[in-house]
Amino acid sequence: MEKAIKRYFPIFALPTFAAFSIGFILPFILGVYLSFCEFTTVTDATFVGLKNYIRIWGDETFIHALWYTSLFTVVSVLTINILAFAVAMLLTKGIKGTNIFRTVFFMPNLIGGIILGYIWQLILNGILLNFDRTLTYSSAYGFWGLIILMNWQQIGYMMIIYIAGIQNIPGELIEAAKIDGANNRQLLRHVTLPMVMPSITICSFLTLTNSFKLYDQNLALTAGEPSNKSEMLALNIYNTFYGRTGWEGVGQAKAVIFFLAVALIAIVQLRLTRSKEVQA
Amino acid sequence: MTNVRKAKHGWALTLFFSLLSIAYVMPIIIVIFNSFKRKIFISNRPFQLPDAKSFVGLENYINGIEKIEFPRAFGYSLFITVGSVFVIILCTSMCAWYITRVKSAITTGMYYLFAFSMIVPFQMVMFTLSKIADILKLGNPVGIIIVYLGFGAGLAVFMFCGFVKSIPLEIEESAMIDGCNPLQTYFKIVFPVMKPTAISVAILEAMWVWNDYLLPYLVLDIKKYKTIPIAIQYLKGGYGAIDMGAMMAMIVLAIIPIVIFYIACQKHIIEGVVAGAVKG
Amino acid sequence: MKKKLLSAVLSATMVASMLAGCGSSEPAQTTTEEKQATTTEAKTEVKEDAPAAEVKADTTEAAATGKVYYLNFKPEQAQAWEALAAKYTEETGVEVAVQTAASGTYESTLKSEIAKTDAPTLFQVNGPIGLATWSDYCYDLSGSDVYAELKSDDFALKEGDAVKGIAYVVETYGIIYNADILNTYFGKDYSVVKSVEEINSFEQLKAVADSIQANADDLGVKGAFTSAGMDSSSDWRFKTHLANLPIYYEYQADGIGATDAIKGTYLDNYKAIWDLYITDATCAPTVLSSKTGEDATAEFALGEAVFYQNGTWAYGDLSANGMADESLGMLPIYIGAEGEENQGLCTGSENYWCVNKNAAEEDIQATLDFMKWVVTSEAGCTSLSNEMGFVCPFKAFDNYPASNPLINIANDYVANGKKPVAWTFTTMPSEEWKNGVGSALLEYAQGTGEWDAVQTAFVDGWATEYTAANN
Repeated sequence: MEKAIKRYFPIFALPTFAAFSIGFILPFILGVYLSFCEFTTVTDATFVGLKNYIRIWGDETFIHALWYTSLFTVVSVLTINILAFAVAMLLTKGIKGTNIFRTVFFMPNLIGGIILGYIWQLILNGILLNFDRTLTYSSAYGFWGLIILMNWQQIGYMMIIYIAGIQNIPGELIEAAKIDGANNRQLLRHVTLPMVMPSITICSFLTLTNSFKLYDQNLALTAGEPSNKSEMLALNIYNTFYGRTGWEGVGQAKAVIFFLAVALIAIVQLRLTRSKEVQA
Repeated sequence: MTNVRKAKHGWALTLFFSLLSIAYVMPIIIVIFNSFKRKIFISNRPFQLPDAKSFVGLENYINGIEKIEFPRAFGYSLFITVGSVFVIILCTSMCAWYITRVKSAITTGMYYLFAFSMIVPFQMVMFTLSKIADILKLGNPVGIIIVYLGFGAGLAVFMFCGFVKSIPLEIEESAMIDGCNPLQTYFKIVFPVMKPTAISVAILEAMWVWNDYLLPYLVLDIKKYKTIPIAIQYLKGGYGAIDMGAMMAMIVLAIIPIVIFYIACQKHIIEGVVAGAVKG
Repeated sequence: MKKKLLSAVLSATMVASMLAGCGSSEPAQTTTEEKQATTTEAKTEVKEDAPAAEVKADTTEAAATGKVYYLNFKPEQAQAWEALAAKYTEETGVEVAVQTAASGTYESTLKSEIAKTDAPTLFQVNGPIGLATWSDYCYDLSGSDVYAELKSDDFALKEGDAVKGIAYVVETYGIIYNADILNTYFGKDYSVVKSVEEINSFEQLKAVADSIQANADDLGVKGAFTSAGMDSSSDWRFKTHLANLPIYYEYQADGIGATDAIKGTYLDNYKAIWDLYITDATCAPTVLSSKTGEDATAEFALGEAVFYQNGTWAYGDLSANGMADESLGMLPIYIGAEGEENQGLCTGSENYWCVNKNAAEEDIQATLDFMKWVVTSEAGCTSLSNEMGFVCPFKAFDNYPASNPLINIANDYVANGKKPVAWTFTTMPSEEWKNGVGSALLEYAQGTGEWDAVQTAFVDGWATEYTAANN
């Protein structure tokens, strides 16, 4: 059978692979190459070795964006997951209206980042106006504004994954634990949490990469103001690349560093949480 | 005794979640009533309901539709999303089946490449991808579908592969023995079994494509083709000062169809997300 | 069942949207061809000073293949440009696309757009500094009709003998005031001066603003000045236009026209005027970061403020918001420099048209034809001088006096012997420099930063950015 299928490569695999080459492989290789070049377009690139990578570290905005993004990621991963898990626990108790609540909480996910950004800009600036402040007054306001926005958007998504995880715990297991005299806290710590570990792995992975790669919401909510202080990595790279003449190579080199950081985080995170998973 | 207590607790929870749900949809409601206010009354007093002085009826809607040609942007967004999702489902599912069933160094390599592409942030390829797309004349609503197939293939192939591995070989083998060629086998036997996964992939990819901002902004010929996020962002700067009235009205128009779509098929969407997460 | 219904609905809408797409583009194409015949007739009566036959030949030839893509810099005039482009297409059949870059993003938009095969054929640079970046893309306009229409070489951006850019609009800015409120103020016993003419120095301006601020309630205003918004739709008023004055006076004192290292001699004056803007204002300085250009326009138009630093281009927005022509006046921006009694308004241009020399030959030709049409035809001149409210340095515009009252005010200053302030900000080393100064200004205003930071961004930033840009 394998042989029979094998001849069908052009029909089955080629279209995807060709598009994949155009949409990913080629741009990726070219992107890595260009990070070692000075250029304004692809055709006039001259090789300059590690110069771009060295110039990055002289750019304070990048260092700041790196810290800002890291801090943002940590805070948003924690808040989103803890709140989503809490809501999921409460919504699996079988209370009235569970379905409606689930529907409502999930809805913001379908709204795009740009639109979300402008919605929250209106709301948060409206609230802050009472205190003679605005979102772009300092990077702290932009930071917490983004945290609120991301929580609003992502809690619903993570919540339904946790709900699925919690509902998958065999009822007998909980019954058995109760018979053994476990109280609610012990139940949560020794039964529920280990059993939903796969969900935790997925949710923390998703929130981690989403937060770290955030662009649209950042652009719409504060656009990096004031003084690029609320600028996250993705936006910093875009601004370096398109906003400053002569910095294209540096922008591309930043993108490579950004990619390596995302890859590293993803691998470490998966290793860490996977090791805690138990087989049901 | 316990039952009574649980019920009381349940009511309290229902009440709590009802209030929370109202708070959750509040931002959208605020945007809706602001869309009927004169633009100079929006950013100063966002929480004030429209009154005789500030009410402008549909003026913001007419204004906004005229400025950004909203119906066209909607058409492009819809066409690109539906087209991309359709092509992604068809091509990547076939590709996934092929590389799972045919075992060779090439297919294994392809599998890892697809998986690898999932963690690469868009900024890494933003310039090179848009340049290649431009050279290949993909800067139109049809061409961008190929770009989406290429850049979005990773997640889709990965999810389909996960599912194909769980399909027992015997059914396919017996079909082949009965004289089906691989194409017939695929469409008669394999694809129908994959439907749940296909729905998951479709939902995840649709949410991405519909809301995507930077990729279409860089790839599309933006003077001709503006998708909804691009059009809304254009409203912020393209006309000098921000016309908050038109902005609010267009946000409402952008959200309403999604909400209707969501309410109509929320069951599929939520199940799709859960299934997608568990497999991803 | 549900799924089938869903897919049916989706595919139906898809088909519908495709049809809609075709429907909207096809008629445009057919009319293009139909219109071609009428074009030639219309053209003969257009302009007399150019050989009509040549114009005809050019446009019809270009109409066959060439097309124009104008990347517009001025968001205020975006809709007027789109309308003018549509009119040209209707008249000649030549396709003209106008795309406007968001405020503060012209450079990045131009960069991503010019890399495309279908790149802008007509774009603009802001002066010598901008030209340094884009010079390789600029077509030599020395033999073009539009250059021949230019009133003087002062408005051309040259590199050796090559004409790389042509200024298409001359603009003036200052402190726009609400004459009605100011007249009311002159009648009050607490007013420090009794007529606008007496406001001829920074000291007087400050005294007036302070007493207006102190009696805001009595005058029914919220503040003397509109909010000095530092949102990207408004921050250029201060980081670029206001910063022009200290640079101008320094150049005057040193007898130069550009520099690789600014000294910041007049930075104290810059601070004084900035302090005035943020203190005698309609809002607390802590909310400036989110205040937009629209906010300032609204405050001024609603009579909540008396003074509003902006230029001739703001007229359209103000009149659209209900300001009567006779209520508008404009004062020079006084910063307390010596001899400023004779200072006039700030007049100059930072809008130079450039033609993309890498565009296809027929597109370049089409673009040149379009430019010529814009500055010679009746439709073009009317739109530029009336709808957009421009003063254009082209010969034909002598017949089209601007209807914009702010421009007439600017002319009066020159007629009264006041010395216009040149636009020296075209010599600012980079966009990055402006951003640095803007951020520091904002931080200082909010109280989250010190004035020293502005000084650093202004002086040290200039040197750094100048080196970076010229290496």
